[in-house]
Amino acid sequence: MIDVFSYVPAIVLLPFFSFLIALGVGKHLPKGGAFGGIAATAGSFLLSLWVLATVAGGEAANRTLYTWADAGGIGPTDIELSFGILVDPLSALMLVIVTLVALLVHVFSLGYMNDEGETGLPRYYAGLGLFTASMLGFVVADNLLMAFMFFELVGLCSYLLIGFHFREPGPPSAAKKAFLVTRFGDYFFLVGVVAVLATFGTAQFAGAESFPVLAEAALAGEGSVAWTPGGVELQTWLTVVGLLVLGGVVGKSAQFPLHTWLPDAMEGPTPVSALIHAATMVAAGVYLVARMYGFYALTPTTLAVIAFIGGFTALFAATMGLVKDELKQVLAYSTISQYGYMMLALGAGGYVAAVFHLTTHAFFKALLFLGAGAVIIAMHHNEDMWDMGGLKSKMPVTYYTFLAGSLALAGIFPFAGFWSKDEILYEALVHGLNDPLLLGGYLMGLLAVPVTAFYTFRMVFLTFHGEPRTDTARDPEPVRWNVKGPLTVLGVLAAVTGFINMVPVQKVLGLEGIDLLHLWLDNHWGGIEGLSSHHYADIGPYSSGYLVGGEVGTVLVGAAVSLGLALAGLLVAWRLYNVPSPTEHTAKLGGIKDVLYNNYYLDELQVWLAYRTEDVAGGANTFDQGIIDGVVNGVSSVSLFGGSRIRRLQSGVVSQYATLLTLGLVALLLALGVTGGWFL
Amino acid sequence: MTAVASSIPPEWYLLLATAVFCIGLFGVLTRRDALYFLMSVELMMNAANINFVAFALYYGDLTGQVFALFVIALAAAEVAIGIGIILVLYRNFGVTDVTVPTEMRW
Repeated sequence: MIDVFSYVPAIVLLPFFSFLIALGVGKHLPKGGAFGGIAATAGSFLLSLWVLATVAGGEAANRTLYTWADAGGIGPTDIELSFGILVDPLSALMLVIVTLVALLVHVFSLGYMNDEGETGLPRYYAGLGLFTASMLGFVVADNLLMAFMFFELVGLCSYLLIGFHFREPGPPSAAKKAFLVTRFGDYFFLVGVVAVLATFGTAQFAGAESFPVLAEAALAGEGSVAWTPGGVELQTWLTVVGLLVLGGVVGKSAQFPLHTWLPDAMEGPTPVSALIHAATMVAAGVYLVARMYGFYALTPTTLAVIAFIGGFTALFAATMGLVKDELKQVLAYSTISQYGYMMLALGAGGYVAAVFHLTTHAFFKALLFLGAGAVIIAMHHNEDMWDMGGLKSKMPVTYYTFLAGSLALAGIFPFAGFWSKDEILYEALVHGLNDPLLLGGYLMGLLAVPVTAFYTFRMVFLTFHGEPRTDTARDPEPVRWNVKGPLTVLGVLAAVTGFINMVPVQKVLGLEGIDLLHLWLDNHWGGIEGLSSHHYADIGPYSSGYLVGGEVGTVLVGAAVSLGLALAGLLVAWRLYNVPSPTEHTAKLGGIKDVLYNNYYLDELQVWLAYRTEDVAGGANTFDQGIIDGVVNGVSSVSLFGGSRIRRLQSGVVSQYATLLTLGLVALLLALGVTGGWFL
Repeated sequence: MTAVASSIPPEWYLLLATAVFCIGLFGVLTRRDALYFLMSVELMMNAANINFVAFALYYGDLTGQVFALFVIALAAAEVAIGIGIILVLYRNFGVTDVTVPTEMRW
């Protein structure tokens, strides 16, 4: 029996090797190293499928591979820092998603980058390889510190790729913004990692000695934690730790108020946007919460904060997407909004719903971005939707796949997004009936549904329907197989992924066993003890309430309301924009339009805040340069000065050495004599 | 072992050894010629030998004498190497003055 889990590191290392190859000899390879990346991600994808099949066969792995620091016996607790792998149903599913999307993005890049004659391709493919490798390392991480390291690598790669066209003014600035804003969140994450290590003496995600288990035992009074600061009550302290780690999540998953980097990140090449939004960077935050959900489920306050941030972000970002003129900008705001839904689900105790939406969103958002990439190729890199129109007949493959993705994004039955979004709203509703804060999150999520449907179809109608509005739109550049292939694969997935988890159908018709994802994440086919959705529900704070008609009635009402709202949004978009020559209706919004168009002036607010805190930063800088660096430099200058003086002893004259030796001997004898009392 | 040798108190041997050692040390510290160095070091080692033999006699133990033989053999080897070094020194600098070469490499 071959042990498939010993190949899990290879899943991470294959893209890493493609990074090294592209970086080292990429310029001598055909297509700038693209084939290396494609081969590596294909290899990782196949291995991931194998891992998925093995996990489905009832096996799982939680292994420490390499301990790189062992503080055994030095501190009050025995802390070991290590690298390891944790393969359970959640990470196996995520591995497949990430490798599949990465593979398709690599293939698409052949069309988007190589065929368009971009320069610097080895750098591009190296970045893609490292990006994929970092995300895969993050997915299989078995402890929080390792997860943090790969989290940071993901951030670094996003910086490198968003700023790919570094000769233009926009991309470098957007890359810096993405890096700094996410770093601001990661700062809290880092403090959280240290807090977890100090509190529990371990950062493992799973196993009997893992921090969620220890926290659970300590809260139940069956054990104690190694440390809490100054006698703070345990529940309070765990909430603080949870919120600290959440800082990193809010930054990476672009939740309010740290979402501002994401729309700017559209400056990067479109395939990179697809990778960032669907499978890597932004997904990392939500995945992290799901990974340590056993910890978050213990702290109701944190869950409520997550749910509220999520619901608010879902609505908030959706409203901004209403008025954007550029294709990718609309998609950017939809991403923020959709990740808001996932956060809402996690906060509402809907662990499976969140992972479900993460899965479906990965496929339909990758599809939409690659479709947008195809349109951008066709439009000679003009992204303004008002210059498009009528592309439907010119590029049917792109149109129909894009339409599938849009229907999924808008949550129209039976496309993937309908099932996952409906489940999120259902979970938020049934748990929210007993919890006002959660109900607020639910209502905001519900309000975002028609808004989402509206802006999605505004985008579709403006881009593909009506009369062509420019010469380029009348004669678009054709795209090749390497664009159509990935689109087709994702188009099918966007249409059918929802069927892996038809909970409403199961509840209404009473069919057993068609909620595959629920069973999968509930360790139905095996997994790791303590990492199942049932366990999370048991330790979570929520109880369910139902509207009229009990569970079935609530399911039907919830689904009908969200589908009805989505269709309403779609119809409004249809009436306004599905005409031969659509006009801007946003002017009717008056002043609101400006507010929305300028993203609620949040960027300005953040810049204003940055200027207000300039003095603090300046003071910190002076302190750092003057005091901290001053001490270090002072110590080194003492050494330097002493060294330069003592160096004179080494004259190279043997006689002097002999003299010094003799004098030393005499001094030693005298000292021994005086202390030993020879002269008395 | 003669009665004369055993009747001399060990302090005399130690005084002799100290005197020889100091003469050798004086040579090392004041001379600049490498050959003088070698001879002075030889004197210092023989001062140690005198001590060894004296204490061997005093305690009636042969270990010290054996050690003295070892030191003599060692001194012979050391002189062989030392003279080799002095030859190289002379070839490179034209003098045997130890204060002239002051760097390990040049």
